[in-house]
Amino acid sequence: MKLTGSYTVPGPRERAYALLQDPAVLAQCMPGCEGLDRIGENEYAMRMKMTLASISGRFEGKVRISDANPPESFRLMVEGSGKIGFVKGDGLLTLSPAHGGTSVRFEGDVQVGGTIANVGQRLVETTARMLIKRFFDKLAAAASVLRATESAAD
Amino acid sequence: MATTVSKPDLLVGKSIRRREDPRLLTGTAIYLDDIKMPGMHHACIVRSPHGAARIKSINTKPALDRPGVAAVFTGADIASLGAVPCAASLPGLRVPHHHLLAQDRVYYQGHPVAVVVATDRYLAADAADAVEVEYEPLPAVTDPEKAIAAGAPAVHPEWADNIAFTFHQEGGDTAQAFRDAEVIVKQRITSQRLIPVALETRGVVADWRPGEKSLTLFSSTQIPHLMRSLVAGILGMPENLLRVITPEVGGGFGSKLNVYAEEALMAFIAKRINKPVKWVESRRENFQATIHGRGHVDYFELAAKRDGTMLGLKLKLIADLGAYHQLLTPAIPTLSVLMMPGLYRFKNVTADIVGVFTNCVPTDAYRGAGRPEATHGIERMVDMLARELNMDPVELRLKNFVGNDEFPFPTATGLSYDSGNYAAPLKQALAQAGYPELRTEQAQARKEGRLMGIGIATYGEICALGPSAALPAGGWESATVKIEPSGKVTVMTGASPHGQGEETTFAQMAADALGVGIDDVLVVHGDTAVVQYGIGTFGSRGTAVGGAALFYALEELKAKVRKFGAMMLDTDSVTLSGGACVDEKTGKSISFAEVAAAAYHAKKLPPNTEPGLVSTHFWEPPNFTFPFGAHLVVTEVDRETGNIEIKRYIAVDDCGKIINPLLVAGQVHGGVAQGLGQALWEQAVYDDTGQLLTGELTDYAIPKAHFMPWIESSHTCTPSPVNPMGVKGVGEAGTIGCSPAVVNSVVDALAPLGVRHIDMPLTPEKIWKMIAQGGQA
Repeated sequence: MKLTGSYTVPGPRERAYALLQDPAVLAQCMPGCEGLDRIGENEYAMRMKMTLASISGRFEGKVRISDANPPESFRLMVEGSGKIGFVKGDGLLTLSPAHGGTSVRFEGDVQVGGTIANVGQRLVETTARMLIKRFFDKLAAAASVLRATESAAD
Repeated sequence: MATTVSKPDLLVGKSIRRREDPRLLTGTAIYLDDIKMPGMHHACIVRSPHGAARIKSINTKPALDRPGVAAVFTGADIASLGAVPCAASLPGLRVPHHHLLAQDRVYYQGHPVAVVVATDRYLAADAADAVEVEYEPLPAVTDPEKAIAAGAPAVHPEWADNIAFTFHQEGGDTAQAFRDAEVIVKQRITSQRLIPVALETRGVVADWRPGEKSLTLFSSTQIPHLMRSLVAGILGMPENLLRVITPEVGGGFGSKLNVYAEEALMAFIAKRINKPVKWVESRRENFQATIHGRGHVDYFELAAKRDGTMLGLKLKLIADLGAYHQLLTPAIPTLSVLMMPGLYRFKNVTADIVGVFTNCVPTDAYRGAGRPEATHGIERMVDMLARELNMDPVELRLKNFVGNDEFPFPTATGLSYDSGNYAAPLKQALAQAGYPELRTEQAQARKEGRLMGIGIATYGEICALGPSAALPAGGWESATVKIEPSGKVTVMTGASPHGQGEETTFAQMAADALGVGIDDVLVVHGDTAVVQYGIGTFGSRGTAVGGAALFYALEELKAKVRKFGAMMLDTDSVTLSGGACVDEKTGKSISFAEVAAAAYHAKKLPPNTEPGLVSTHFWEPPNFTFPFGAHLVVTEVDRETGNIEIKRYIAVDDCGKIINPLLVAGQVHGGVAQGLGQALWEQAVYDDTGQLLTGELTDYAIPKAHFMPWIESSHTCTPSPVNPMGVKGVGEAGTIGCSPAVVNSVVDALAPLGVRHIDMPLTPEKIWKMIAQGGQA
């Protein structure tokens, strides 16, 4: 399943890029994330809870960042599995200056399997879009908070 | 000694209500999941979430540590046991070793990997979740045409081309027929993968008795005796120490005409843990791990003269077999080849089957099993030819039917059609529909811009499977009739009815033959310790083969009862009627019960006669039977939504003599419902990685009661000469006649848009897109 879209995050590109690499921020913004621990260079162990249609369950997996080209782009790979199935995603995030902040464009491929595919296939795409939107909404909020803090510090 | 008893009406031919129904309708029938035993444990199966993967490791410890867990078994535990059996054989067939549990790889989603056994079903399910299996996903292929294309991933690494077998059959001179042709019609036609969805999923209870060293296996199956032989073989145990009991079965449709890994697994586990163990399939497991049906891509070419004379037919059949062969998997497409000439006279046929491995659950027999695919193909092709020739599809069919004087008719595929009057049901359907008026109405509708269609399909079937030479494990059936000392009658049939109603129809036959009341007859089936060996119920054989065995068993026993009656009445001509033996000359009679008692007390015996009243008959059919019929469907397609409304559904089926019209109607209704399911709604969909996307009833649209049209069902009657009752079988007729009639009707409705063919299912989305794109798919 191909997923593409773009969202705007307040603040300059460098800051948006830094936020997207910060495990604490990512853990806070990823819907259902129950933990994100660094296990290596640009690699994190992730625990998250996911609900899709009538099923929900915990996933454990890995998040890996590669092809880092700050502050323009990086590649994000997510892999997780749990009792209700597995998810594998691979996406390229491209950051560009935009009016009032930074535009983050993503282009990715997501594969789901197990019960979530058997039962929720028709809802996978809309759910994925919803989760991504929530992520960016939270990221935008985090960026705003950061900017407000910085302004106050000025 | 009573005097004359009035002769009751015969029961055969009457609509007797099913004697099975009260217990089914009041919830007092015993299904597999109703079985409870002291100390019974419950099994839950860990299945592969991947379509193809290497198993890197399995850690069962977290499951074993959970409460109530008695044992966990993996592939290593069963590696030395036999394989899940495939009874079909074809020259050069590649048969992958089908272990009861996956070894180092999984080949389809739902492939059993481990079994967790616990004291309670829920504890077992939770513990199954705790089993840690590490997989390395591998490339998968789920589309049979992609699977045989160059560079496709190999389902089984040892066979890179994914071809399980090829099969060639020809009759006549097809090359010459195509040289002589003035018109050739070609079309790719698919019969999509279907999920059988029996109301009751599969289930097994295994009960090991250490003192007797015997094992009782309860299974929701269509074939208890074959299961006993095959499971005994897998486990390496003596067949006579294994008893298979079939409780009430909530639907099979072919999906329980099989021996699955779970039956042998539960038997193995019960013995290992020394406790009874139960496994009941969940609906999701049923979708992933019980056989699917159909799965054809068929390339047809039909050769004809401009006057409509059909000359020959070519078929390239690509059969999606799935990852393994179940009991009859590779044999099913060969039935399509046998059936491909339909009811038509032409004698030149060439067929090539490519049986293809895919990373999907195996396909096997599903209501019709190979014959719906063939019938759908030929009946679509005939309609396309009619369009090409600008002929009425009715006229084209009538012109090419095998004639009434040509029976027994040898077909190009090597069959001998037993009897037929193929024009009769078609003409009856046309008369009932008011065909000329319907065409006038259609012309008017078209003027108004409405999309009205009239679809006709005629079909033939290969039923009463079948002569033993044509079946892997014998094609006969057996019956035992016992008259108890009290005069009550017990019939034991080797056919294992599971919804077909033989407890009623066989009781009708026995009551008529012995002149007793139907309430004095009990029909017993589905227990290998009670019933003599049998083959089972499938392929519309229950009555046409099992009933014939009963007919002869009754004849034999009747002769013996007569001997005792004649001795007691001191006469030489006795009839059995009204619960008595009657002296035809004097009208004197003696009750059936008194005769029965005399046969067992045996104070005095007729000459050369043994005590007791029991007879057993194993009947070998000399041929298949070939039922036929015509279905006519009137549809209207909504231009705005693509929705198809079935305005009329007329089914005229000729299944020979009818024993119980009510039950025949039930079979037609059920068959048509499943045919409509294929034509309009159902499709099993796997993605390219082997994920079953239609994994539940929310995503797999079986017909609901309110989807059903009114079915105008009637019959013509052409008795079969194959069996003494003249019956042909009707279990699959509705399914076979339905899908081509519906699709022909919808294509006819969309003809003004230039539509020539549509593949099933005809979902509103598909139809709407066609209308929106001006008839293009």
